[in-house]
Amino acid sequence: MPSADRDYDTPSPLPENGMTKLTNCRLVRGDRLVWDDIWISSATGKILRSQATFYDELILPDKTIDLSGRIVSPGFIECQLNGAFGFNFSTLLDDEDQYGENVRELNRKLVQTGVTSYVPTVTSQTADLYRKVLPHLGPSGGSRVATDGAESLGAHVEGPFLNPGKNGVHNKQVLRQASSFADLEDMYGATNINPSPFSSNPIPIKMLTAAPELGNMTQLIPEVCARGIVYSIGHSEATYEEASAAVAAGATMITHLFNAMRPLHHRNPGIFGVLGIAESLPRPFFGVIADGIHLHPTTVKIAWNAHPEGFILVTDAMHMAGLPDGTYPWTNGEGEFFITKKGAVLLLEGSDTIAGSSITLIDCVNNFLNWSGATIPQAIKAVTTTPAAMLHVQGTKGSLDAGADADLVILSEENTDGRTTLVVDEVWKFGAKVFKRHAPPASI
Amino acid sequence: MRLIIRDDADAASSYVANYIIDRIKHFAPTPAHPFVLGLPTGSSPLGVYKNLVEKYKAGEISFENVVTFNMDEYIGIPRDHPESYHSFMWKHFFSHVNIHPNNVNILNGNAPDLEAECVGYEAKIKAVGGIDLFLAGIGEDGHIAFNEPGSSLASRTRVKTLAYDTILANSRFFDNDLDKVPKMALTVGVQTVLEAREVVVIILGARKALALQRCIEQGVNHMWTLSSLQLHPHPMIVCDEDATLELQVKTVKYFKSIEKVALAQGFQQILPSKIRTGPPRPAAPEPQTVLAVEVQSSSPTIDSPQPTTSRLLQATPATEYPVRSVSPEIDFIPDRMGSRIPELHFAPRLTPSPEMQKQKQIPATRVNAVGA
Repeated sequence: MPSADRDYDTPSPLPENGMTKLTNCRLVRGDRLVWDDIWISSATGKILRSQATFYDELILPDKTIDLSGRIVSPGFIECQLNGAFGFNFSTLLDDEDQYGENVRELNRKLVQTGVTSYVPTVTSQTADLYRKVLPHLGPSGGSRVATDGAESLGAHVEGPFLNPGKNGVHNKQVLRQASSFADLEDMYGATNINPSPFSSNPIPIKMLTAAPELGNMTQLIPEVCARGIVYSIGHSEATYEEASAAVAAGATMITHLFNAMRPLHHRNPGIFGVLGIAESLPRPFFGVIADGIHLHPTTVKIAWNAHPEGFILVTDAMHMAGLPDGTYPWTNGEGEFFITKKGAVLLLEGSDTIAGSSITLIDCVNNFLNWSGATIPQAIKAVTTTPAAMLHVQGTKGSLDAGADADLVILSEENTDGRTTLVVDEVWKFGAKVFKRHAPPASI
Repeated sequence: MRLIIRDDADAASSYVANYIIDRIKHFAPTPAHPFVLGLPTGSSPLGVYKNLVEKYKAGEISFENVVTFNMDEYIGIPRDHPESYHSFMWKHFFSHVNIHPNNVNILNGNAPDLEAECVGYEAKIKAVGGIDLFLAGIGEDGHIAFNEPGSSLASRTRVKTLAYDTILANSRFFDNDLDKVPKMALTVGVQTVLEAREVVVIILGARKALALQRCIEQGVNHMWTLSSLQLHPHPMIVCDEDATLELQVKTVKYFKSIEKVALAQGFQQILPSKIRTGPPRPAAPEPQTVLAVEVQSSSPTIDSPQPTTSRLLQATPATEYPVRSVSPEIDFIPDRMGSRIPELHFAPRLTPSPEMQKQKQIPATRVNAVGA
């Protein structure tokens, strides 16, 4: 309680406390848009419990910002990003410092698309590359500096323990089978996959995509999970039974559902079948590329309806994302290719072969929104709350609840020809504004 | 007593909100001279808060230099419990306006020493110079704050046990589980409310009609604690038509005609200007309960009872506006005829003067004293 003998005669200028109140806005809370204020602090980088701050700290925010009814969403979380703005994570540079610098530059640009945290993805490569690049791709948000931009939540190693029959554009020459956990340590480097007993720093790897039917991979899943790594089924010929066994062993994710796996067959539903609950197993999360090229819109809708709580939108974007249209050199380690980028479509030069995507996550959200009939909060959930739960960072990321990190995206709605489009107006990281859209909107 | 009747709840709420805003504006509060506002919780004032927030957002009023005191708070539920009055005020008012948390006062139902909390609360009200306007709602039984039927009209801020009916009524906010409903509360007293320079009460709906009737048409009664408002110099009740259902047609017509005539005369039923601008601070003394008759002990006891009504009447700062009956100057007190006769020229009187009788008959003094 404030003291009774308050001195009204000497009003002192209030010190800056780094608090901001966003008002006149709709907050994405669960499956609803709620008219409410939100208080954030750039000092702690967190979303504040406004009532407790008012009554306990006896302070008011430095700034109140009227958002004129726009939507406030948690910052987007991207679970599959191979590179962007010309930088490919699966690149070996002679100068290791340059690699780190490139990652930091990418982070600062990526945050402008609304992605405030992500899982940098390294495709199937040789052990040499993993050992060199993984230390640069581990969790990067520890210092909580807003101007650092997007934050890595840890790396996603997509390979090389993949099925050669479902390699996609991965280099078949480097694909391996694992018979023991030592094979994983040899591939990624023991320090990248085993927590150090002498340090509290998190290990660089957060997610591992592997085909469970090869080698002893299914038996290794519990060891992977024990290290806090999310095991994801992908690039796999697994039958429904094999996929179910992997889920029973601890697999909690499916990498780009439908792509690089057996199609759904009515007598053997394959990996897709685990989204049913026939075996009484918990249903895994699954990534879906809603770029309009990898999957038919109706396929996306079916996947969402099968298990909305597990539905995660991913881009699987290549390093051409964020670059202007044109032809770019690319290698998977096997040979030199050229990829032609036209809009979000990437094709191997002179062919019709899809070579990944260059879509942004907000475009995936907009596609999904218009294909599925999902509401705006349901669509946003697929890039916020759901991936946060998959990556075990719920409550910290992907949430507007008090105590979560103040990573926010401010969206405006544009309606053209009956199509609703969400546009990223502002991005806030750790309670500070790091991006504001200029009119006319910059094309990314 | 001013009784303002509006067609519906919205019109009544908006009238009260506008009235408060006018009062604050005319008061022209500064950090050294803040406007002190008493605030209620409950369903009745919701519309008032909504209007105040809208006016704030439209830039018509600032609460920067407004100090608030809330009426009551439950004991024993967490401060940030969704049903606590801290939460109510935050949700419906404080979070939407520019009031500074340092200027907000709400009783702490989790204070280690609840008695000290109550005493401290009264002291805080005094320290800021008393409450300029106390907004209130009432319960169906005519209670003001948590001063339920039978509460002393001389009561001050204290711990209060809730009536079983109130606990039942509140259970709807606590999962219909009686065990979860707070059984006690801290509340300002009737006296605390009456000491405000102005009291404005909003009463809405047919359910409150009987209470309004008791408080307006009947006498002061501790079973309807709002009726104590009849003893306040500047009370105003604002109600909707539904709340007047139990009133006599005559009463309703009377109060409506008063308002109509006053408006036609261009004469708002306003307060004396000294009340409207507040006392000059810090020169003016704080309003205090000044007893005309000096008594030895500060609180009434069996040995020295104090009449409640005289305290109520004198509780208000009656000296701040014109007093019609003027006491005669000391010069005009007629003296005793006997005193005009020069005593020196006469022998001692046959009939003793009263003074002499007193001196001689000491035992009689005791008899007189008992009779006094």
